[in-house]
Parts: sequence; C-alpha cells; structure tokens
Amino acid sequence: MAFDAEKEIGKVLRGLRAAQAEIGKTYYRWRQVALELAEDGVDPLQVGLRAAERFGKDIGKSMLPRLHWLKGEAAFLLNLGRAMAGLWNVDGGVATAEKGEKPTEVFIKCTRDPWPTWAKEFGVSMKEVALCREKMLKSVLEDVSIFFNIPLDLEVQKAIPRGEGMWLIRLYKKEE
Amino acid sequence: MAKQLFEWDYAGFPGAKTYPHLFKPIQIGNLIIPNRIKYAATEENLNGRDGFVTDAGVAYMRERAKGVVGGLCFMQGVYMDEKRQGQGYVGQAACWDDKFIPGLKRIADAIHDAKAVAGFQLMDCGRVGAVDVEYGHGPSAVPQRLRIFRPIKEMTKEEIKEMIQQHIDAARRGIAAGFDVMEISGIVGYLVSNFISKYTNRRTDEYGGDIRGRMQAVVEIIQGVKAVCGPDIPVGIRLCAEELLDDVRGNTPEESMETYKIAEEAGVDYISVTLGWQESIYPVISRDIPMGNWIHLAKRAKEHVKVPVQMAYRLFRPDLPNKAIGAGELDIWEMCRSMIADPLMPKKVLEGKEDEIRHCVACNLCLARLFRDAPMTCYINPVCAHETNPEFTDPPPAQEPKEIMIVGAGPAGLECAYMAARRGHEVHVYDKRDTLGGTLNEARKAPYGDDELWTCVEYQKKMCEMAGVTFHLGSEVTEETIEDQMPDAVVLATGPVYPELPGGPHQNVVNLLDVMRGTAQVGEKVVIWGNRKPGIGCALHLARQGKQVTLVGREKTAGFDVNPSFKWRYLIYLRQNGVKVYNDCDIERVTPEGILIRTYDGYRIPVACHTIVNSDRVANEALKKAVQSEGIELFVIGDALVPRNLSSAVHDGYRIGMRI
Repeated sequence: MAFDAEKEIGKVLRGLRAAQAEIGKTYYRWRQVALELAEDGVDPLQVGLRAAERFGKDIGKSMLPRLHWLKGEAAFLLNLGRAMAGLWNVDGGVATAEKGEKPTEVFIKCTRDPWPTWAKEFGVSMKEVALCREKMLKSVLEDVSIFFNIPLDLEVQKAIPRGEGMWLIRLYKKEE
Repeated sequence: MAKQLFEWDYAGFPGAKTYPHLFKPIQIGNLIIPNRIKYAATEENLNGRDGFVTDAGVAYMRERAKGVVGGLCFMQGVYMDEKRQGQGYVGQAACWDDKFIPGLKRIADAIHDAKAVAGFQLMDCGRVGAVDVEYGHGPSAVPQRLRIFRPIKEMTKEEIKEMIQQHIDAARRGIAAGFDVMEISGIVGYLVSNFISKYTNRRTDEYGGDIRGRMQAVVEIIQGVKAVCGPDIPVGIRLCAEELLDDVRGNTPEESMETYKIAEEAGVDYISVTLGWQESIYPVISRDIPMGNWIHLAKRAKEHVKVPVQMAYRLFRPDLPNKAIGAGELDIWEMCRSMIADPLMPKKVLEGKEDEIRHCVACNLCLARLFRDAPMTCYINPVCAHETNPEFTDPPPAQEPKEIMIVGAGPAGLECAYMAARRGHEVHVYDKRDTLGGTLNEARKAPYGDDELWTCVEYQKKMCEMAGVTFHLGSEVTEETIEDQMPDAVVLATGPVYPELPGGPHQNVVNLLDVMRGTAQVGEKVVIWGNRKPGIGCALHLARQGKQVTLVGREKTAGFDVNPSFKWRYLIYLRQNGVKVYNDCDIERVTPEGILIRTYDGYRIPVACHTIVNSDRVANEALKKAVQSEGIELFVIGDALVPRNLSSAVHDGYRIGMRI
C-alpha cells in the first residue's frame, strides 16, 4: 500500500495547530473590534471579563449533558475538573485534573498555555489574561452548580500569565 | 351508584376467551369501564398552531376510539395558559378559554360515536414546554441540559396559584365539552413532574422541600379538579414510578411511590404508571428494550395504592397485560404507539384477528417528528395522520382492473400488492427467493430488537392472502418473463444493488446479505463499508461475535437514515461494542491487506482488515428498459428507486398501491 503514514499524520497535525492558533487570534481580533466600537473610556479589562463570562456560561451549558452524578461526588468533581482542563487541551495547551486530599476538591494543573503568547501578539496585558481565564472558569461553574444543586467554586493558586510557571487551580465544593 | 356509559357484550368474541382479563369490566371512581383497554393521551401535532382542534385531529381520534371497543380513549393533553408557557408541541390542543370548547366537543363526540369512554388530559409541559415563546416556567430556574428546550423562569407563589386554577378551569371546560374522565399529566418532565422532582424543585416555601412539600401543588390541583368533576367523573393522574434521573440526583424510586400514595390520599381514582423523563439518559421504550420489561413497576405501584393502576411502555402484545392483570399486577392496559401503528389493534385482538395487526416496531419516529414540530407520522402505518383523506383510509376500487406484475416480495412489493389487489387488480408477486420479505430476511438478524421488524412482513403476508394476491416465489423475472406475461403494469420492487468497490472485484470483499445469512467467510478484523442502518446492523452483529469491526461510510454521521429518537441508541451500542467509526469518508483503494479511506477533506487513513463487508447500496435499474420498451405502465418503489429504510418501502408500496 503506497501510503506514508508519517506524512499523513504530519499533515493532520499541521492543520490542527493552525486551527488552534486561529482560536486565540480570532478572539483577540474580535476584542479589538469591540474596543473600537465601544464608547471612549471603556476599560479593556471589563470588555475582556464580560466576554470571558459569556464564554464560560456557554461552555458550562455545553458541559451539562456530559456530566453526571452516577458515581458520586468525588467522581463528579474529577470529571468536571477534567472537562475544565480539556478547555486548555483543545486550544493546544497541556492540562490535567487530579484528586485533592479531600474528596470535595480537585486540582487542575496546566503546564502549557498558548493564550499568553497570543495575547502578546495583540498587546494585551498578562493581568487581563489571568483574570479573564479565572472569570471564564468561574462562569462555567454557575450553571453546573445550579443544575446539580451543589455549590462549587475555584481558587487560582498559580497562573502562567503571572509568571508562576503553571496554572494550579483548586476546584472545590463550598461549605454549606 | 356506579354507572356504565355504553353497553358492551364481549362474550361471543374469541379474544374474550383467549384474553379473559382484558375484556372484563372495572370500576374507576363511579364509572364502570367495560374492558381493560385504554388509548393513552398522545400528542400528534395535528391541531392548529393556535390550539384549536382540526378535522385531522378529530379524524385521528375517531379511528382510535373505534379501536378500544368500549374502553378508555384519551385525547392528547391540552395546555391551559394563554401565555403558552405550558405548550410543548406546536400542534397541541389548547384549553385556556371557553372558545376552545366546541372543538374539544367534536373529539368527545367522535369518541362517543364509537361507544367508547372519552378521556380528557390536562398537560402543562413545564420544563419541556414554551415551544413558541421565549421562556418556560417551573418551580425553580434549573438550567436546561438540552439546548432544544427553553430557559426556565421560576414561578412565583401567585403564578403557582394561577397555574392550579388553570387546571381547574380547563377541567371544567373538558366537562362542558362532554368528556367522561379527567386526567392530570405528571410525566416525562412536564410541569407536575417538575414540582415533584428534587432535581427541578429547589423551593424552600410550602411548594418545595421534602416530598410532601414538592407534592403540595399537585395535591391542590387534584383537589381542585376533583371538586369540579364531582362524584361522576373520575380523576386520574399519570406519575413516574421511576424518573430515571439518578445522574442528576432526581427522586428515588421510594420517593416516587410516596407520590402515588399522596395522590391517592388527595383523591385520585386511578394512577397511570410511567417512567423516565425526556432528559433521562436511559432508554425506556425503544426496540432494544424487551417487551414487558417494565411491568414490575405496575406491580410495585399496586403494592402501594388501592386505586386501579394503568400502564403502557413496551406492552405491545395482549398476552403480557392479560397475564399481568390476571396476576393482580396491573388493572388497565394502556397503549400509545401500538395504536398509532394500528388504531384497531385491540379490536382485532377481541375479534381473534391478531394476525391482521400491523405491529409497532418501536422506532420512535412518531416522537422524533413531534420534537421537530412536524405532524405525527408512523414508520410502519402509511395511513397515520391521513385519517381525513378517504383515499388513504378507504382507497376506492380501481376504475379499470389490471393485471399487475410486482417484481420483489420485500416490504415495498408486499405493501403495494395487497393494496392493489384490495382495489380489484389481479396481482402477481414474483421473487427469485423462495421466501417473502426480501432483504428484511437478513435485516431481522441484526441485534437489539431488529427481529421485531419482521412483524411487518407477517402482517403484509396476511393482507396479501386476504386480498387474493398470487405469489410466484423462487421465480426470477427476466426480460423474457415480461415479454411472455405482458402484464398491464409492472411494479419494480427489486431492492437495491450493491456496486463493486473501486478496483474490484476483490477476494476479501463480501456482501452484507451473505454475512447476515452466515454464508460468507468473515475474518477477525472487519471493515463494514456503508454507515447507514444496514451497515450499523451488520457491524453490531459481527462485533457481538467478537470481531474487531470498523464502520466506514460517506454519511456525515453513522445512522443518517435512522430517526434521531432511535439513532442515539445505535451510537451507544457501537461504542459499547468497540466498533470504530469513520464518517464522511470514501474508499480510495482496496488492497489485500485492508482498505485505504480518504476523509472528505483529503486525509487518508489505512485500515487493516481481513474482510470488507459491502453494505453500500444504489438504485436498481434492472428491467426498467425492458418494461418501458414494451410500453407497459411502470412503477419503481422501495430501495429499487432510492435505497432508504423499511418505512420508505412501506409508504412507497402503499401509495403506489393506492394509485395504480
């Protein structure tokens, strides 16, 4: 069979990487348009945070059909953590979710994040990148918390855009 | 003093002897129902978008009323709010004003014309409602898991009181329209069930909290409706015995049984047992669920309440409810889909004509249509939703009787044959096989309930025998046969042909039909070419034998030709059986080692295998020219015209049989 598997896989990967790069660039192009159309004096950070909230809520809704309570609370949290880590992975990052010491917590670790690189190309501050990611993830939790009737929250312990080498996020169930 | 609306005597009917428990009376409230049969309320989207009853809706119900032979016949659930938040289907009948009463009366009258008991159902669709407005309503604003449903606004206490009053007012209108039994719908995610479930009711006021609190609104509805109905009109309720919502922390089965007891305490005269929500992740009524699978839930209900218990859910055969009633596990046999497929189903049971029943094949096309705002139709019954059209219900005799040659004794050919013969034509059916059924002989061997498809052929065979169709089995039709016979018309129902794969013929390529028959040698690693239903059936058939199966096809998703209400089952089974799937692909090359596929955007993937099963089908052009060159009237139907599914074959056959 005259078929060069390495060549074919390389072609697929190049296509994937190009599509991933477009994700970030497209977002920042639209951010630029929003700022140009906005009234004078609008705070770019607020625009970014509003967009992050919208993305997060929509992603949260899309997670609802895929999450379930069949294996209990700890498994639910781990699945949710994995789904949130997956948000980086589809963009070209590297992220995982691991169980914490308590059954009501999960840690999301991201060691490679493409967003700061894309942000630099468009002159966006690292502070905005960090805050927007946090806002987006918290917005994901809103509908998930209501739908499954479980109060969820997260805290960012480390962030790549803050120069801390990795993202470390604690996802946990709030004390009622 | 209990009363009976119409006199029925079943003593002389064979069905009453075979199934004695189905044809004995039962008292519900103060009403005596002469038998144990109920056509349960079923949406059909046949009414106006404004909620007014139409001729089509009345005609649909009239046929079902004939079928219950004096039993209960319920019209579809009505929505009761002018804001239309409770409307779950575009063609759902409304009852929020007295102006709807005359239309509703037409349905009650149609049911009474058949000497059946007319049932009226109150149905606010709640969480799955608001089909034509921006927001739905519910006890709490729990987000929707499925985007096809509208966002929910939490009801205020005043709105809850208003909703309860709407039920009461609608019940009064139902009585004014002439209905004999009142029913509250609390199933599959509708508003009543939203109040009951802890998944959707997070309230902390008197309408929420524990199960009694969550039942409070339901209790007020029952008591209000009972007060309007008085002693002569029984009031029932349909409630989930199991919500099947454990993945989202819904009610436990114990809580569900508690709801039955509370409803009984509140005064209901019967309980209809249901299960599952539209949001449930578990299958309940599709063909892969064995018949009678859920009867234990009726038994459980009987252990918790004293009022009569009714149930549908995969009880398509009369022996199942007859046995359950005899054993004290059930009181009334409900039907929805089996009477969509054959409105006269229980009547035929009574008359001892079970072999004349067109059985539902549990494909759920009827539901899929409703969810897409389309009128009800049936996969297997071409007359469904055409009850107003006498051409469908009672096709007129042929103006000029003809001698008709039908080539192919599959579902399309058989359907056409009995219909044409019934209209006075002389019909001869030829098939090169020795048996009837065409490719359904092989398709029925696919797993997960596909053997039920064969009921279609059994029905058609009986109809053909009754209509006087002549069969010529084991007789292949050639151009010479046509020249010799010179019929007035030829119907080609020859089924599809399977084109050779690129570069063919190949030693490692076998035909789908040979695989399903068990006559082809199949290696351990198999590629099925064709990702429509036949390919899926074959893939699952082989995967369950332990083969490593890869399904490859041109369609964007596997099961393109399967309706969405059943397709999800196949996709899960493919995954569970480890079948790899490549969609949106074509074959670039077949080699002795396997197959090289090319994705729609040009990527190539080699798949190693020992055997390639060809399930790709194209139209069958054979004999067309021969018929046309003789100047004979020609019809092409079923897969011979365009390869599709069983439904298309049946509908093609019926329609040509009507026209020819």
